[in-house]
Amino acid sequence: MEIIFKILAIALITSVATLIVRPVRSDFAIMIALTGGIIILVMVLSFLTGIFDTIKNVVETTGVSSGLYALILKIVGIGYLVEFTAGICSETGNTNLGDKVLLGGKIVIMVMALPIVTSILQIIMEILPK
Amino acid sequence: MGVEIIFKIAGIGILTAIVGQILKQTGKEEISTLATLAGIIIVICMVLGQIGDLFNMLKSLFSF
Repeated sequence: MEIIFKILAIALITSVATLIVRPVRSDFAIMIALTGGIIILVMVLSFLTGIFDTIKNVVETTGVSSGLYALILKIVGIGYLVEFTAGICSETGNTNLGDKVLLGGKIVIMVMALPIVTSILQIIMEILPK
Repeated sequence: MGVEIIFKIAGIGILTAIVGQILKQTGKEEISTLATLAGIIIVICMVLGQIGDLFNMLKSLFSF
C-alpha cells in the first residue's frame, strides 16, 4: 500500500506549487490544483476495477439482475464526477455553480433510480393481500 | 500521467509572469498581454487533455 505515500506526496507538492504560484498568477494556481486532483483521482480509480470485479462476482452468485448492477455502477460514477466538478467549481470561486452541479447530479440520480423504486413498489403490491 | 505536469504548469506560470513583467516594463503592453494569453492557453490545453483522460477512464470504468 505504498500508493498512499504517492498520493500524500502529490498532494503536498501540489499544495506547495500552488502556494508559490498563487501570488504571481492566481489563475495558474487553480490549474495546478486541478491537475493535482486529476492525477490523484486517476491513481485511485485504477484500484476501483478490482473492487468492481469483486462486486460483480457477488452479484452473479446472488442472482441479482445485471441491469440493476449496471445502474448502480452508473449512479456511483455520476456521484464521483459530480463531486469532482462541483469541487472544481467552488475552488475557482463559483460556489453557486458548484451547488447547481450538485443539484443536477442529485436530480439525474433520482431519475435513474426511479425504475428501481417502482419495481420495489410493484413487488410490495404483489405481496400485499388483495 | 505524473507529477511532472504539475511542475510544468507551475514553471509555465512563473515564466509567463516574468516575461509579462519584462515586456510591460519595456513598454510593450500589447505583446505582454499576448504572451500572458499564450501561457494561459497552453496550460488550459494541458489541463483539458488531463480532464479528457480522466473522463474517458471514468466512462469505461462505470460502463456508460
